[in-house]
Amino acid sequence: MLNEFFLSLEYLPLAQHIGATWWFPLIESLHVVSITLMLGAILMVDLRVLGLAATRYSVSTLSRELVPWSAVALGVASVTGIAMFITRASAHAVNPAFQIKMLLMVLAGINVAVFHLIIFRHNVDWDPRINTSVAARLVAASSIALWIGVMLAGRWVGHIV
Amino acid sequence: MMSELADWLSNAPVRDFSASLLSSIPGLPPVLQTIHLLSIVAIMASIVMIDLRVLGLAVPSQDIGEMITRLSPWTLWGIVGAASSGVWFILARPNRYFSNPVFQIKFALLALAIILTFAFYRWGRNQASIWDESSSRFSLAKAYAFVSLSLWLGVVMAGRWIAYSEYLFWPG
Repeated sequence: MLNEFFLSLEYLPLAQHIGATWWFPLIESLHVVSITLMLGAILMVDLRVLGLAATRYSVSTLSRELVPWSAVALGVASVTGIAMFITRASAHAVNPAFQIKMLLMVLAGINVAVFHLIIFRHNVDWDPRINTSVAARLVAASSIALWIGVMLAGRWVGHIV
Repeated sequence: MMSELADWLSNAPVRDFSASLLSSIPGLPPVLQTIHLLSIVAIMASIVMIDLRVLGLAVPSQDIGEMITRLSPWTLWGIVGAASSGVWFILARPNRYFSNPVFQIKFALLALAIILTFAFYRWGRNQASIWDESSSRFSLAKAYAFVSLSLWLGVVMAGRWIAYSEYLFWPG
C-alpha cells in the first residue's frame, strides 16, 4: 500500500514535470546551496560550543544570529528535497542510503531538540570565557558527526539508484 | 586550447590512475563528493557569511575585520579541500569536463571569486577604517560583497549543473 502511495506521488503532474525538465537540476543545485549554508551555520555554533572557534562570542549570541539561518536553509533544503523525492519516490523509499539518511536526520533532529530544549535553556548566560558543559559538547560533537553522515548518505543515494 | 589540454590529460598516466582509483575503491566517489561538499560548507561559513555580514543580512554583532582574520583560513582550506577532492573526477574523464560549457563557466566564475575574495581580505585587513558603516567606502564594500556572494553561489550551482549541461547547451 505504501508502495502505491509512493507510485502515486511519481505520477503527480508536478513530479513528472520536475523529473523531465531543467527544474530538476535547478532544484538540486538549490538543495546543495541550502544544505551547505545550513551546515555552515550549524558548524559555527557547534565549534563554538566545543570551544574550538569564535570563543570571543557567547554561545547565546552566535545561536541567536545563526540558528535562524540554519532554520531557513533547512526549510529550503526540505522543500527542494521533497521535490526531488517525488520524482522517484518508490525507488528512493527502498534505497538503503536514503533510508540511512532519513534515520540520521531524525537523530540529528532529536539531538538539536535536546540542545535547545534541555541543555541550552538552562545555560542561557554562557559567558565567552566560560567553558561549556560536557553534555553541551557531546551534543555539539554529535551534531557535527550526524550532519556529515546525512551528507554522505545523501550523496550516496545517487550512486545506488 | 581546452581541447588540447583535455587530449593531453587523457593520454597522461594520471588519467588511468584516477580512473582506476575511482572505479576500484568501493564508495570512493561519494566519499570524495562529501569532502567536496564539506569544503563548500567551509566556504559558506567563511566568505559567504562575511558577504552576508557586510550586506547587513547576518551576524550583526560580529566585527567584520575580526571575521576576516578569524575566517579567512577557512576559505583557504575550503578551496584546498574542494580542489583536492574534485580534481580526481576531472583527471579521470578530462574530455567529459573540458568540453562541457557549464564546467567552463564554473571555473571562470571560480577564478573571479577566488581573486575577488583574497583581494577583499587583503583590503579589509590593511584598512580597518573601511568597516565604519557610515563611510562611503562601506558602500564599495557592499558592492564587493554582493558580487562575491553571487559568484560563490554561482560556482556552487554551476558545479551541480555540470551533469545537466544538455538542458542549457544542446550538443550540436
